[in-house]
Amino acid sequence: MSQPDWIVLIFTLFAIVLFGIWKGRGKKDLHGYFVGNTTIPWFTIGLSVMATQASAITFLSTPGQGFSDGMRFVQFYLGLPLAMVVLCITAVPFYQKLKVYTAYEFLEKRFDLKTRSLASFLFLLQRSVSTGLSLLAPSIIFSTILGWNLTLTNILIGGIVIVYTVSGGTMAVSQTHKLQMSIVFLGLFVASCMVIYKLPDNVSFANAVDVAGTMGKLNAITFDFDLENRYNIWAGLIGGFFLQLSYFGTDQSQVGRYLAGQSIYQSRLGLLFNGLLKIPMQFLILFIGVMVFIFYQFSQPPIYFNKVEKEKIYASPYADEFKELEKEYNTTFREKKELLDLYVAGKNNGSETKEIEQNLRAIQDDSEHIRSQAIEIVKKNNPSVPKDTDYMFINFIIDYLPIGTVGVLLAMIFAASMSSAASAYNSLSSTTVVDIYKRILKKDGTDAHYVSVSKWSTLFWGVFAILFAEFASRLGNLIEAVNILGSLFYGTILGIFLIAFYFKTIKGSAVFYAALIAQIIVTTIHFLIEYEVFKLSYLWYNVIGCLSVLGIAFLINGFYKNEELRSVEEAMK
Amino acid sequence: MDNNKIEEKPPFFKSWKGMYWLVIGSLIFYILFLYFFTISYS
Repeated sequence: MSQPDWIVLIFTLFAIVLFGIWKGRGKKDLHGYFVGNTTIPWFTIGLSVMATQASAITFLSTPGQGFSDGMRFVQFYLGLPLAMVVLCITAVPFYQKLKVYTAYEFLEKRFDLKTRSLASFLFLLQRSVSTGLSLLAPSIIFSTILGWNLTLTNILIGGIVIVYTVSGGTMAVSQTHKLQMSIVFLGLFVASCMVIYKLPDNVSFANAVDVAGTMGKLNAITFDFDLENRYNIWAGLIGGFFLQLSYFGTDQSQVGRYLAGQSIYQSRLGLLFNGLLKIPMQFLILFIGVMVFIFYQFSQPPIYFNKVEKEKIYASPYADEFKELEKEYNTTFREKKELLDLYVAGKNNGSETKEIEQNLRAIQDDSEHIRSQAIEIVKKNNPSVPKDTDYMFINFIIDYLPIGTVGVLLAMIFAASMSSAASAYNSLSSTTVVDIYKRILKKDGTDAHYVSVSKWSTLFWGVFAILFAEFASRLGNLIEAVNILGSLFYGTILGIFLIAFYFKTIKGSAVFYAALIAQIIVTTIHFLIEYEVFKLSYLWYNVIGCLSVLGIAFLINGFYKNEELRSVEEAMK
Repeated sequence: MDNNKIEEKPPFFKSWKGMYWLVIGSLIFYILFLYFFTISYS
């Protein structure tokens, strides 16, 4: 990486930290620390909600997804606008009127302490682990491509976030999200321009889109209903709706963002802003990935993007087999490029290109088949190797983009990583202090004491995330299993909240035991899928978990006739 | 539950229902856009 790129990156990181410290300065009580004195306007909430969801992996993996799989991943987000509307009607007014610090506080008012504690525990479990992994994922890629030390990269990303999150709480987190999202939008703009600028002179943007379509990369929507396929409109609308409803409505890292809104009005507008912008943003990121794919149709791509793993293969017993495939891949590339030049010339002259299109598709299939064989060899040599497409975009940035823009795009990836980590530290701390420490362990502390504990708790979760990232880097294949934790728990938590909001006759114990049974059902299904008893996309875990809680709670509610029934209206008094 | 009556009105619309329909309408627009985008280039 060049000196100007380093300057851009270091300046951006310093600017974020200083901005966070400055915006979060001043003495705070618990209300100021965890909900920013409920003074945050809708525009900041909207950007903060988007920044929380966008991690570094969004900008490393998603273009890779576009590169390998085309645009169909965009369907994953189709349920999001609907979820935003439902949350604005239900969750936002409840949370705002109850003046809670965490989503789980509401559960005690509606049900009982054990249900609140169960939901808090499930959140702490999955969020702490997934935060560690979200630090690790970009660190692995940076350390591989740029030769940085993995542990130091984890400490750098995770550590600088601790500085302003501990000192400034929610106010610092939300305000830095604004700056981070500005950097992200700038990065997306630079990446979009550069990827089009880098196309060969004889290939216009329209030609590039044509070629992408011919290669089957612009398959943005599929109406086929298939439970095994997570990327079709039905999985996106139904499964995605449940997932997003659960994530934005019950995950404290998101709820904490809009709880800090000045009013119901501000919180609602913030969420609807996200509902309007998320799909176009994901579309753009995937499209950048597709355009990089087109770039690599005219410039020789490596058969395998992860250079470190490739070096390992060259030194392994699989070297000859791999090199043979590499030769074949390069020959196929040259043949494909000749056809592509003919295709582009034909399109520009208005001549018939049907036959060339068919040949192109056939040769593309051959090329993908050769690459998949190479990937299999790498996996044989190292079974825990990360997905190669995650390295595609960063390779393109480092190898082909001009000095200065590399720094901007790396700053974008760092900013995204920091933004999701900041929300996670803040929410883990608020749940630990408000739902566990203040509610169960020490009920009679002063406000200053709780603020002090909150700062220590934020520091603890920041250090935990860094240590877990370090530990997980040694887990190998287990990383993927741990990554699925979110979907394992979201459905159950959503079921608890849906009953709290909509089913007034269901009592606390019925919900609590239904949630426990539902969690066992989802976990069992997950293991049956892992052992290939049947196939199902993990997006459906959310639906199954949620419906199980609802069904079981209805069935067993009759056993708790003598238990007190608390309505939402009573909870809001 | 409808808490809209006692809350501030949203910008540009008389009630929050208008805002919600704007978001749902945009979703329908995105789906149609993605559909025509897919069939145009498939």
